[in-house]
Amino acid sequence: MSYITGYFRNIVGGFINPCRAVFKNWSLYIMLLRRDLINRTSGTILGKVWPLVQPALQILGYWFVFGVIFSVRAEGRGPNFLEYLLVGMLPWLCVAEVISRSTSMFREFAPLYRRNPFPLELLPVLVMTIPCLVYGSAYFFLNLVIGGIDKALLSLFVLPMFMLWLIPLCLLFPVLGLFIKDFGQAIPFLLMITLFLTPILYFPSMLPQGISRIIWINPFSDLMAIVHGVLQDSEYNWLNVARPMIIWLLLLGPCWLVYKRSIPHIREVL
Amino acid sequence: MVDMALSMKDVSKYYKYYENELDRVKEILSGKSRYQKIHALEDISLEVEPGEVLGVIGQNGAGKSTLLKVLSGTILPSSGEVETSGRIAALLELGASFHPDMTGKENVYLTGAIKGMSRQDIESIYEEVVAFAETGDFIDRPVKTYSSGMFIRLAFSIATHIDPEVLIIDEALSVGDGAFSRKSFDRIMDFKEAGKTILFCSHSMYQVEALCDRVIWLEDGKIRKEGTPVDVISEYSELMRMSAPRKEPLGDSQETIKSEPCNEIEKQTTGSSALPSIIEVRVTVDGKENKVHKVISEESDLEVTVLFDSGKGIPPPSVAIGLSGGDGRILSSAGSVHDGVELSVNGKGQGVAKILFPKLPLLRGNYYLDVALLCERGIHLYEAARQVAEIYVEQKGLERGVVKLPHQWLP
Repeated sequence: MSYITGYFRNIVGGFINPCRAVFKNWSLYIMLLRRDLINRTSGTILGKVWPLVQPALQILGYWFVFGVIFSVRAEGRGPNFLEYLLVGMLPWLCVAEVISRSTSMFREFAPLYRRNPFPLELLPVLVMTIPCLVYGSAYFFLNLVIGGIDKALLSLFVLPMFMLWLIPLCLLFPVLGLFIKDFGQAIPFLLMITLFLTPILYFPSMLPQGISRIIWINPFSDLMAIVHGVLQDSEYNWLNVARPMIIWLLLLGPCWLVYKRSIPHIREVL
Repeated sequence: MVDMALSMKDVSKYYKYYENELDRVKEILSGKSRYQKIHALEDISLEVEPGEVLGVIGQNGAGKSTLLKVLSGTILPSSGEVETSGRIAALLELGASFHPDMTGKENVYLTGAIKGMSRQDIESIYEEVVAFAETGDFIDRPVKTYSSGMFIRLAFSIATHIDPEVLIIDEALSVGDGAFSRKSFDRIMDFKEAGKTILFCSHSMYQVEALCDRVIWLEDGKIRKEGTPVDVISEYSELMRMSAPRKEPLGDSQETIKSEPCNEIEKQTTGSSALPSIIEVRVTVDGKENKVHKVISEESDLEVTVLFDSGKGIPPPSVAIGLSGGDGRILSSAGSVHDGVELSVNGKGQGVAKILFPKLPLLRGNYYLDVALLCERGIHLYEAARQVAEIYVEQKGLERGVVKLPHQWLP
């Protein structure tokens, strides 16, 4: 019984503690956000335009390969390919950045906490917020152009939904990235595989029957189905909501426990 | 009951050693211990009252730095309780949280935020921080473009302007160079005079004794002795002396006079016209200024004259003279501030300190004269002249030892 209670306590802790760290250290949180945004653009000619240009260039690249060279067409399956690609790809770029950055998070922010009483619970939220802000504004305007104001307003919930779902991974991956160096090396490959196993660069209906089952094991496929369903009126069902939610609940408690246990080790390692 | 500024109860800190780093990961994932303990602190209980200045002494590896880090909150104790009241400023690794790409201004705000200050609080001290650090227009440039001196000035300024209740100092009572070292020293003294709690960890027993109300001596992570500075430092210094490698005993050999006396000033601090400096040191024996200072024990008068520049805009300095043996151990010293002598300065900002050691009671041997120029409190060192002269003492009798104590044989 106590094991179950502890499990649920960790689920609550995994959600509440990072949020509490933000509220308790609001001034610090805002400072670090500012610092990060400055760092991204300092010394560049385009400056503050880069956060918009960078995802646009990446999407252009994917569109050229899949839309022009491979000539992926909707053919009655839904929205045109470019719109479909844009609506799925922007959140994915945000997710990919959060995952890769969270893996190296403890090393990146080491100067802040190594010799200061710094709230380490703040870091996962920080790592999630910045890409959310950078990609969020671009995503809003994209949906405004594609679907109008209603869809643009709905799109404001997309990136927070992904970030919410990423909380367990953002608690676990920094620990693995710090203590197992190979993990950091494997992340780009894992991200690439996940991208190919998620219906972003192609329509789900284009997959052969056998493979499509494998695709739906991937929770990102469910999340993408919700995104396309809400923003582009594609079909999605309750399973697309239930599966990621169950996985989230299963992961959050253990991931918070690992994060909590690793805190005394982190300053010693670096 | 007094609310303590700092309190530690049964605090232990051990570092974990893993034969294989993978064991650490297994431990985090499974919750089962796989480490060997390396103790840094063991069952430390300590209470520091508000306004108290506590000295922490001990050899390297005794646990001093770990104690300061635990108190400043940089590292967590493995067990026990630490309670602090008010904000803590730790002068440990200054500027460690600075981000090189951010401007000085942004780093002021960042450091303040890390210390738990609101934006309004930081804004209220910002002008003072910048003025104290003397960064000028550089405050709007990235700190990576700062000189090391400017970097440390800004870091010190922030650390000491956050209105701390407790100040933690590791070794240095001043930072930076030139005039700023004096300014930073004054700032620390202001904290003492304002009744703030100070924890001072140092290897300088002189400074610990001069500043602290109470001293703890750490050894192997435990408090070996706690008490008044005189008691603790005497015992500690004796142990250090006993454990130091032994050299030839002084005055025991019929050494010949060594060639030339040193008579050179070895500058300890960087020269700056704003700070006091030694101009010249003259040594005479029985009024004669010879190249070789030959002294007859209990007969000769030794006189030392120190000419100094008193610097600008600061009180006249004090002078200290030390006599040491060949093994470097100070045998005796005299300081103008401790003898209640105020040194005067002429219109050019120069002064003279003269001291006479009548009928020098040292026994046979070679001795060295050290001269130090210190602040008016006799704590902050401006400049030191090591082994400025070599004194060769001869004696008529056959007494052994270093000094002939005044004595009389009773009937």
